[in-house]
Amino acid sequence: MIDYSKRRFLVIDDQAQARDALRAIAQTIGAFSVEFAANYQDAIYRIRNNTPDVILCDYLLGEGRSGQQLLEELRRFNLLPDESVFMMVTGEQSYEQVVSAVELVPDDYIIKPFSPDKLLLRLDRIAQRKAFFGSYYREKRRQNYAQALAILETKKQSEAGRPYRFEILRQQAEVLLASGETTQAEQAYRQILDQHAFPWAKAGIARSLHAQNRQSEARAAIDDVVRDTPHFFDAADLKAKICMAQGEHATAQAVLDEVSRKTPRNYLRKRLLAEAATLNGDSATARTMMADVISNDSMPGAIAPADRLTLARSHLQAGDKLSTEQLLLGLRDSEVQNFTLDDQASYAALLALCVPEKGRARFSGLRPALLDTALSTPARIDVIRAALGLNDPKLADKHAAQLMAGDEAKKIFGNLRALYALHGREVDFRELQKQAALQRIHHEETPPAA
Amino acid sequence: MQKLLDVLASGIHDSKNQLFLAESLVAAYENRHQADLGEVRFAIENAASRLSRSLAAYRLLRDGAQLAIVPVIIADLVDEVALAQRAHLSKQGLRLALDCPVVDAWPLDRDLIADLLNNAIQNACRYARQQIRLSARLDHEILILRVDDDGPGFAQLPPASGIGLLLAERIASLHQHQGRCGQLLLGNDSLLGGAWLELRLPT
Repeated sequence: MIDYSKRRFLVIDDQAQARDALRAIAQTIGAFSVEFAANYQDAIYRIRNNTPDVILCDYLLGEGRSGQQLLEELRRFNLLPDESVFMMVTGEQSYEQVVSAVELVPDDYIIKPFSPDKLLLRLDRIAQRKAFFGSYYREKRRQNYAQALAILETKKQSEAGRPYRFEILRQQAEVLLASGETTQAEQAYRQILDQHAFPWAKAGIARSLHAQNRQSEARAAIDDVVRDTPHFFDAADLKAKICMAQGEHATAQAVLDEVSRKTPRNYLRKRLLAEAATLNGDSATARTMMADVISNDSMPGAIAPADRLTLARSHLQAGDKLSTEQLLLGLRDSEVQNFTLDDQASYAALLALCVPEKGRARFSGLRPALLDTALSTPARIDVIRAALGLNDPKLADKHAAQLMAGDEAKKIFGNLRALYALHGREVDFRELQKQAALQRIHHEETPPAA
Repeated sequence: MQKLLDVLASGIHDSKNQLFLAESLVAAYENRHQADLGEVRFAIENAASRLSRSLAAYRLLRDGAQLAIVPVIIADLVDEVALAQRAHLSKQGLRLALDCPVVDAWPLDRDLIADLLNNAIQNACRYARQQIRLSARLDHEILILRVDDDGPGFAQLPPASGIGLLLAERIASLHQHQGRCGQLLLGNDSLLGGAWLELRLPT
């Protein structure tokens, strides 16, 4: 039996009466320290500053936010250690459908009304489970994936692990995926599917196939999940990513547009929608989405230089050089100097295109580094666009050739072709494409070294 | 149709929030005054269960109904049903015996199955003399959840079909694995001498 008087509780609910009710129940099971958060931002602030031991979070938080979105952001931004308990509280039976489908789940959920004894039983069970997985959590946190997997394997074989076999399989698959062992991750998810067709396991297979660049198979898998579980919004995000990898940008945008309307305060999704819209040539939507993200995403540290550069890029694509210039010149020099090389390359390229007299020198200064370095895909495209505009075919062709030889070739093919066409270089682009294809065939025919 | 379901769901959701407020006030009173108002809380939870069951019936008896399947540790499920029922049965002078040798977790709709078992025990409670038994066991990859009582048994078999029974049969049949469906069976030759209800889920 756990002594809950020493545990710090955080109750998250936008309704004052409901917060009082949850506190009363928590106090009945012995809780002494019970803090309140009345909204999403307040909850993030409290969790960041003093991580509670037990979070009781209502599913509906008002203002277009849900407890599920909060949980997903906490997990994605690593704000919630595995040792903390996140219990979703809901009167909504529809939440059962969500929790049975999605990949990021709370430690448990409990349906209102419930007795103090039932909460106690559930919390004690979670504590037992967390104690069982304790050594694994520690290795996973250190990103010591081999050791984490070894611990899981031992636990899977143990008698004490029998009640947790699904959780062990799920954790194995997730660690394999996180550590880049995508083929093994796929196998692990298939083992889970042998037991039951959980939507999250099907999505895991699609994710593994996507990472292996087996996009057609990934698409078939994720199409099923999105059709059968429309409330599994992350599956829609994954479908959009797969569509983009296949070069189907209009479909990606349509998928994200639909799900984004249902989750108006999910800014990661809006970033993805901006990316799809940009690839789809819809700079108006990309601008609207990124402006919304930059104005309203209040997750601490969430707005990265890359977000501002994405907005600048969409302004430029829309032909609005004035907004591009204002945004880029609004960034302080000290800030730009601390950018990664990718962001510096994009900054210099975009500035060179919208204010050549100010940006050309900076872009030329970076040129030696740009010729020698592998850049991220958005940075490469910015560099190609600027290099074509500044009549520097060597720099443009080098990055274009590398992009066409890479895994994202289908994703950016249409955009690159349009850029080259804009400068009357369609023939050169076709040649680059041909060389990349020949290189790929040669690579596939070369037997692996013994 | 979906709109009507949304309206019903929203109304039921609001009602359950109100019932939760009531239960928390009762729990706080019990805590402050060292009182036992378990029967009040039981009545509140029963009211909420009936609302949920009505909504579940409306949702599940339509075509294309989906369950919310999660891995469930069977011993935990049995303990939770016992926690919900034992104090109330004890007030009626009835004993709830448990028998659950199943260690593993199995994929099932936790809340619907728990409600089905709670409802079965409540029905048994109306006829049992001294004892009700809740058990779980595995038989050739079939998970068998069973409620036995020592009452006079069903007056007729199959019994007249009410909404609870209809819903229980539907919940059973929606649990499917590799082409096999779950089943709900009823009988009168219980180990305790009365009626029995058996939920058989393929795994």
